[in-house]
Amino acid sequence: MTATQKSYARKAAAHGFLICFVIVILVPFAMVISASLRQGNFAPSRLLPDKVSLDHWKFVLGIPYQEVVNPATGQTRMVKADTPPLRWFWNSIKISLLSSAGIIFLSGTSAYAFARLRFKFRSATLSALLILQMFPMVLSLVAFYVILDFAGQYARWLGLNTHTGLIMIYLGGISNYIWMIKGYFETIPASMEESARIDGASQFQTFVRILLPISLPIFAVVFILSFISYMSEYPVASVVLQSSENWTLAVGANSFLYEQEKLWGRFAALAVLSGVPITVVFLLCQKFVIGGLTSGGVKE
Amino acid sequence: MSEGSVEIKELVKTYTDDRGRPTFTAVKNISLPIQDGEFMVLVGPSGCGKSTTLRMVAGLEKITSGTISIGGRVVNELEPKDRGIAMVFQNYALYPHMTIFNNMAFGLQLAKKKRDFISDTVGRTSKALGLDHMLERKPHALSGGQRQRVALGRAIVRSPKVFLFDEPLSNLDAKMRVQMRSEISKLHAQLGSTMIYVTHDQVEAMTMGDRICVMRDGLIMQVADPLTLYRQPENLFVAGFIGSPPMNLLKGKVQRRDGGLFFVETAEKNGLTFPLQGRLESLAGKFVDKDIVFGIRPEHLSDEIKDGAAAPITSTVEIAEPMGSESLVYLKAGTGNLIARIHGEHLYHLGEQVTVQLNMDKVNLFDAATENVIR
Repeated sequence: MTATQKSYARKAAAHGFLICFVIVILVPFAMVISASLRQGNFAPSRLLPDKVSLDHWKFVLGIPYQEVVNPATGQTRMVKADTPPLRWFWNSIKISLLSSAGIIFLSGTSAYAFARLRFKFRSATLSALLILQMFPMVLSLVAFYVILDFAGQYARWLGLNTHTGLIMIYLGGISNYIWMIKGYFETIPASMEESARIDGASQFQTFVRILLPISLPIFAVVFILSFISYMSEYPVASVVLQSSENWTLAVGANSFLYEQEKLWGRFAALAVLSGVPITVVFLLCQKFVIGGLTSGGVKE
Repeated sequence: MSEGSVEIKELVKTYTDDRGRPTFTAVKNISLPIQDGEFMVLVGPSGCGKSTTLRMVAGLEKITSGTISIGGRVVNELEPKDRGIAMVFQNYALYPHMTIFNNMAFGLQLAKKKRDFISDTVGRTSKALGLDHMLERKPHALSGGQRQRVALGRAIVRSPKVFLFDEPLSNLDAKMRVQMRSEISKLHAQLGSTMIYVTHDQVEAMTMGDRICVMRDGLIMQVADPLTLYRQPENLFVAGFIGSPPMNLLKGKVQRRDGGLFFVETAEKNGLTFPLQGRLESLAGKFVDKDIVFGIRPEHLSDEIKDGAAAPITSTVEIAEPMGSESLVYLKAGTGNLIARIHGEHLYHLGEQVTVQLNMDKVNLFDAATENVIR
């Protein structure tokens, strides 16, 4: 083989591998979309549906539609969801947005303290955070249940089956975000903040006016990550939220999978729908995730 | 006391870990009075405590013990902004997300100055620094020299009584450094403010400072004006640190031979020997048979015989660095190497035999035990 042929072969092999890889990723996604457009609630067997039907989408979007009950007689009935799935959609977006915003605030301020202030047990606390984050949130499910149950006796809005209760639990999952942001803060030269201090900025002003604007990329990343994880979080939400009008998308979607009958079509439509806000948030945050924000401020 | 004077008294800085246990003492009880309008340079190798001292004056480091007064007022517990100081950092420390205008105006904005006043002050300062056409740019669009000028401007608009510089030129290229050096000197002449300038570069120290404070290991080695420091170093450290190429230092003993005193280099063979007469004889009198260090600056080794006490040294050229009007010649003589700065346009060659004349009037003798100059 000549050198050119060799390089062609190498390129072909690399592309072949990549194409296979992309197919592996895209096929399940395509199947979910196809399932949401298929008649009947079956797990898809072929990629392209025989007959395109928007029934599942109508159901999910809360639009009543005719369903054939008995094919022999042609008897139909109106179908409309008891709790419109769009409500779950809004619940999810509300909870994820509020939790992510809270996470940004809490982990940003804590990370600043860990990165810049010197206090007793600083390194011990940091290690404790690192160890704690290794246990999944689900492990404390029982405790969450008891705590919310207890809190609900005194403050109804904070109890079980409330969104505030769920958000409070979600806000507990900040330890890895603290580590992420702290790592970023530590790459920012301290002289920038010292300079602001000499200019007369208080610690809080320095944080808000110097550190935060420079740290937009890491906050965008944290926001995206936490938004995605809370959009799709199921175990905690399923335990805390009991009545269907309070459910999040993940809990609601799961309710279509009965033991006797799994309504894959509706499930798929809801799954695709849940991807929309994630995509929107990602696109909005993406423009902040750029390098070089600190460039020019200091000479490395 | 005038308002720009700085008085450092028995200053100590000990660093501690998270739990408050002492780890490292960076500044060990130094006292340094700086007069109003003086350009004081703190110079020394890295880790000598010069930056720490400056940062304590700025209020960025807590003082372990001792006091710092600015304009006669103890500022130990004052916030940096209330000390009447401004600081220029080595890495510029500009705010990368703000325009040049906002970078310079930030301090004034925080001080809630009037808008007109801010734009007027920033406008005037930026014009003086040649930055007025780039006020809307961000720092990343500027060159290194321009950025440091912005940092300078940011300090100037605060109209401080004391300017603090923390190695401001070490990130610039050689040409820019020389230019900024003279700009800062000019600024000092114009404003007449007190300036404290930290550097590790002894050329900067010599060219800019009214007085220079040489530090080592958290202690002050000598405080003096540049020429005194150069001609009359107090100790071996200052002698070796100030001057480029450094002072030639020969280790040896004082010996009495034939009724006269001689410096005899410690060597297995071929050690250099110089007669100590007049001033040197009286200095060396107390050090007969004791270890001393014999110091002579490169420019006091010359190829011509001069009037006065001169001692000839026969030597071999090892390296010659012709600089045009003069040559730096590395000579092999006795046990060690001598550097001579010889004027004239003679081109020296490797291995060439040269007899240089050592000007005995310019010799400094140091006590090898205490490292202090013998007086």
